[in-house]
Amino acid sequence: MSNLEDDLRLALRREEPSLDFAERVLARLSEPPAVPTWRQRWAVLMRPPRLQWAAVAVVLSVLIPAGTVQYQKELRYRAEGERAKAQLLFAVRVAGSRLHQAQRKVLETSRPGTRL
Amino acid sequence: MASSVGGLAVRVQEEPQRAAPVALPAFADIVREHQGMVFSLAWHYLHDRALAEEMAQEVFLELYRHIGSIQSPEHLLFWLRKVASRKCIDQTRRRVFWPKFGLDEIPEPPAKLRQSDPLLSRALARLVASLPEKARMLVILRFQEDLDPSDIARVLDMPVGTVKSQLQRSLDVLRDKLARTVGEIAL
Amino acid sequence: MRFLALFFLLGMACYGQALDLKDLDKLAAKATETTDVTLDGSLLRLGAKFLSADDPDQAKVKKLVAELKAVYVRTYDFEQEGGYSEADLASIRTQLRSPGWSRIVGVQSKKDHDNTEIFLKTGSEPGGLAIVCTNPKQLLVVNIVGKIDLDELSDLGGNFGIPKIDIEKKKPAPKKDSDK
Repeated sequence: MSNLEDDLRLALRREEPSLDFAERVLARLSEPPAVPTWRQRWAVLMRPPRLQWAAVAVVLSVLIPAGTVQYQKELRYRAEGERAKAQLLFAVRVAGSRLHQAQRKVLETSRPGTRL
Repeated sequence: MASSVGGLAVRVQEEPQRAAPVALPAFADIVREHQGMVFSLAWHYLHDRALAEEMAQEVFLELYRHIGSIQSPEHLLFWLRKVASRKCIDQTRRRVFWPKFGLDEIPEPPAKLRQSDPLLSRALARLVASLPEKARMLVILRFQEDLDPSDIARVLDMPVGTVKSQLQRSLDVLRDKLARTVGEIAL
Repeated sequence: MRFLALFFLLGMACYGQALDLKDLDKLAAKATETTDVTLDGSLLRLGAKFLSADDPDQAKVKKLVAELKAVYVRTYDFEQEGGYSEADLASIRTQLRSPGWSRIVGVQSKKDHDNTEIFLKTGSEPGGLAIVCTNPKQLLVVNIVGKIDLDELSDLGGNFGIPKIDIEKKKPAPKKDSDK
């Protein structure tokens, strides 16, 4: 086996995602189904004798999604933030490296004895 | 009908189109078992950690929807590789991709791994990420997942002969690019 | 290599405004690879917020970008030469000739056909830096809007690159088939 293939295996070895990756997947899976329309909710509430349980279900269907939605918002905020950070680092490095290279070349050329 | 996927019993419905209900804790175990593989495929392909994590999440969400169609642990691995590869290639076709201007965002690996030269590894990983789409995924499947060309051909739905020739060509290109990047190296 | 003027590159703060890069958008269709970074306003602040104070490089970047208004990067890689022309850059060059902008560096390598030009906008707020790099198969345009320390930026650019690697020379191994 060539060294290049060994080096490729090392360079492409598996890495783990962030520590809470699985939790984030589950969080997305835990998103509740579509919230029933007000008409559907009223229809449920108007059906005795299950009125009480229906009312509880409606209340829960509002409260539980609120918590999950907030968590989802936080996850999206974090993902956006990480992406913006990556873009910023990239831009700074690109600009910095080009500036650095140009500066170096100019300094090399400006040394005594260098023909312009 | 029941089958075992990753050591966990999964109830498979008679109509394969419907996703079998899988308890979330059980599915979490599946995610944890395979997250490294899926994430790494995306990471080495996209070279964007945040995007790779997002892509990997999408793969597992799709797995959950299709869990009823998974027939075995081997099928699960095949399915994950196939879907992850497809999503990565579609992603680069749909949107911008990061070129390589000395950007180095590869974090230190969490476990202590043998590294002949960490800088060489980084240079190689970047060069792989600069290959054309299909060739890039071929190399990743070959050297990250250690797949045979015939397995790669099944995952990517390509003829075996094409896989072999593209792999050889990619190695030649990587060898040349690496030599130009870091000078003469042991090949 | 041509040498053009280089003034006040160290420790200089500069002020400028955003360039209109719309004329470059059509190049994406012809390019094999494209990068588009557009960070302004809240997105720029968000990215800066996520920089880690524990990482020395990121901490430096955080300090560097503290007074920036926007950052734009466009890069295009082409399979063949001729993927873009000077006409595609005409609008940008016109903007960079407007009052306030000064071309402070022009570096050309005849060996690689790389051409790098650096422009500064000085005077009125906000600040600005523009970099235009061309070679036959690649085009890069960077526009940074706001007050930025060029010395710090250049320093970061030098440190982020991979240092020279000395690898022992060996006889090349014979080529092997990629099969197992």
